[in-house]
Amino acid sequence: MAKGAGIVERSLVRDADILEHENFVLDGIDVSGRWNTMLKSRVHASRDLQAWDAVRQNLVATSIDRCIQCGMCTAGCTVAHEIPDFNPRQFIYWVRTGRTEELKQQANVVWRCVGCYVCTHHCPKGVNTAEVIETIGQWLATVVPNRMDPAFHANHHAYRRQLARRGRLSLPMLQATFLRSLGRQHELWSPEMQKTVLKMLWDGRAFKALAMGRPRRWRKNRRHVAAQA
Amino acid sequence: MSREVAYFPGCSLKTIDRAYDVSTRLVARDLGLGLVEVEDYACCGAGELKGNGINSYYLPARNLGHLLRQGQVDVMVSCNVCYHELSRAAYAWTHQAQIGEQINDMLRAAGEPPMTQSASVRNTLDYLINHVGLEAISRRVVRPLTGLRVAPYYGCLYHRPQAMVSSVQVAGEHPEHPHFMHDVLRTLGAQVIAHPAETTCCGGKNLLSDEEIAGRLTGRILSQAKAAGAEVLSLMCPKCAGGLDALQPRAVKAVGEGARLPVVYYTQLMAIAFGHSPEASGLREMESGGLTVIQRLMRQLASAAPV
Ligand code: SF4
Ligand code: SF4
Repeated sequence: MAKGAGIVERSLVRDADILEHENFVLDGIDVSGRWNTMLKSRVHASRDLQAWDAVRQNLVATSIDRCIQCGMCTAGCTVAHEIPDFNPRQFIYWVRTGRTEELKQQANVVWRCVGCYVCTHHCPKGVNTAEVIETIGQWLATVVPNRMDPAFHANHHAYRRQLARRGRLSLPMLQATFLRSLGRQHELWSPEMQKTVLKMLWDGRAFKALAMGRPRRWRKNRRHVAAQA
Repeated sequence: MSREVAYFPGCSLKTIDRAYDVSTRLVARDLGLGLVEVEDYACCGAGELKGNGINSYYLPARNLGHLLRQGQVDVMVSCNVCYHELSRAAYAWTHQAQIGEQINDMLRAAGEPPMTQSASVRNTLDYLINHVGLEAISRRVVRPLTGLRVAPYYGCLYHRPQAMVSSVQVAGEHPEHPHFMHDVLRTLGAQVIAHPAETTCCGGKNLLSDEEIAGRLTGRILSQAKAAGAEVLSLMCPKCAGGLDALQPRAVKAVGEGARLPVVYYTQLMAIAFGHSPEASGLREMESGGLTVIQRLMRQLASAAPV
């Protein structure tokens, strides 16, 4: 049997934290069989509250303090169904109990939230879970940027730069910037894209996307958009 | 009789998703609505600035400030992402006084018109059903979509989260099983195909950065709709169109041929039922075979018509 197979929510426990023995005798009593699976002590002595401070001070995530760890968010979560390690309830738990190390180890998972608000919609305590998770992801992007997929940074910066500079989004340009910063510009000419690109050149949409312009007096707006970009 | 209402197309509809804009305008004109664009628009934020605290409200609030300065309070929005962002800002301004003040401070500092009252952000679908009415819509139908098997798809940001009291919630849309699009499609004479993925997320936010998950999420939606018997998927969001229509090959790669399904906007189906040509409805600009399905339907309708 796989290690710790009988544990409920097995995906939440790391292999290294599970102890299993053959012929385990405890205080003179043979506890072999299903009783010999143990978890290492979960006593947690070094609380690191910088993540919690950062998140609860962000105006869109103050509701994190109402969380009762019921797990409704994870139960309905779009991404949790695809990636077993993606667990919004657990991210909140780590933030609030100062388990920042665990959180940082999952940095490359947290950002995969798709912002669908199923969690917020289901939360019985009125936590805006979607925006809390987004805030946690952005905090991680500032403290452990190197642990996140390069595609995350490319996407994040492509959007921010275009929003700050132009105030509007031109999706073809955004995609080009994204691919260029990953050294993947050749994909713009992949068979998948080629058809669309040619069609947009032909029917004038490519031109519209290039010529979409900026809002008036845009310069004065910039700092409010890209306060952290 | 023509009624005026403000309209916010947003960046996508102004450029590559022109088909949604064109069909929204056709349908609105037929229903006697004069659309007045919100001038000097900026992007709504596109869901990309959510973690930025107060700054996450700036772009949508700037657009609402311009709307109010034009003397309008109601604004009709077709894109679900714009709709969500504008509704979120309107809600915060109205119900969270401190946020409202900070929003206006930012707008004034940038020399932009502040929000002077609570704006009413209306999803086009909700506006058509609840302001214009299904009866008026049915009176315009000259080419019923008889026999067309359509799967409605709403996406995420149309009706979530519930706590935001957006216009569809005020209008009594069901929070778990929305049905306004079902109602419109039925009014057009189509056969509505219910399926389990009507409101599951397409993963559009990470469409570029997380190809694999995005492919699986779009693949699931398309294949469930197709397995339920649909021959076309009806959508209402340009962000969803990115993954479900233009990048459908990725969905097929992720889950197989079962995910190959033509995708069109519900407004295009309305335009067809109102008698417009597939070209005028922007169907040529769809990538997954929407034009072919509609041309086939029109041939069937023509051959079935009494001589
Ligand atoms: S649903 Fe709400 S209260 Fe329950 S664990 Fe998730 S955030 Fe916490
Ligand atoms: S918003 Fe993110 S955390 Fe919430 S349900 Fe969707 S994917 Fe999961």
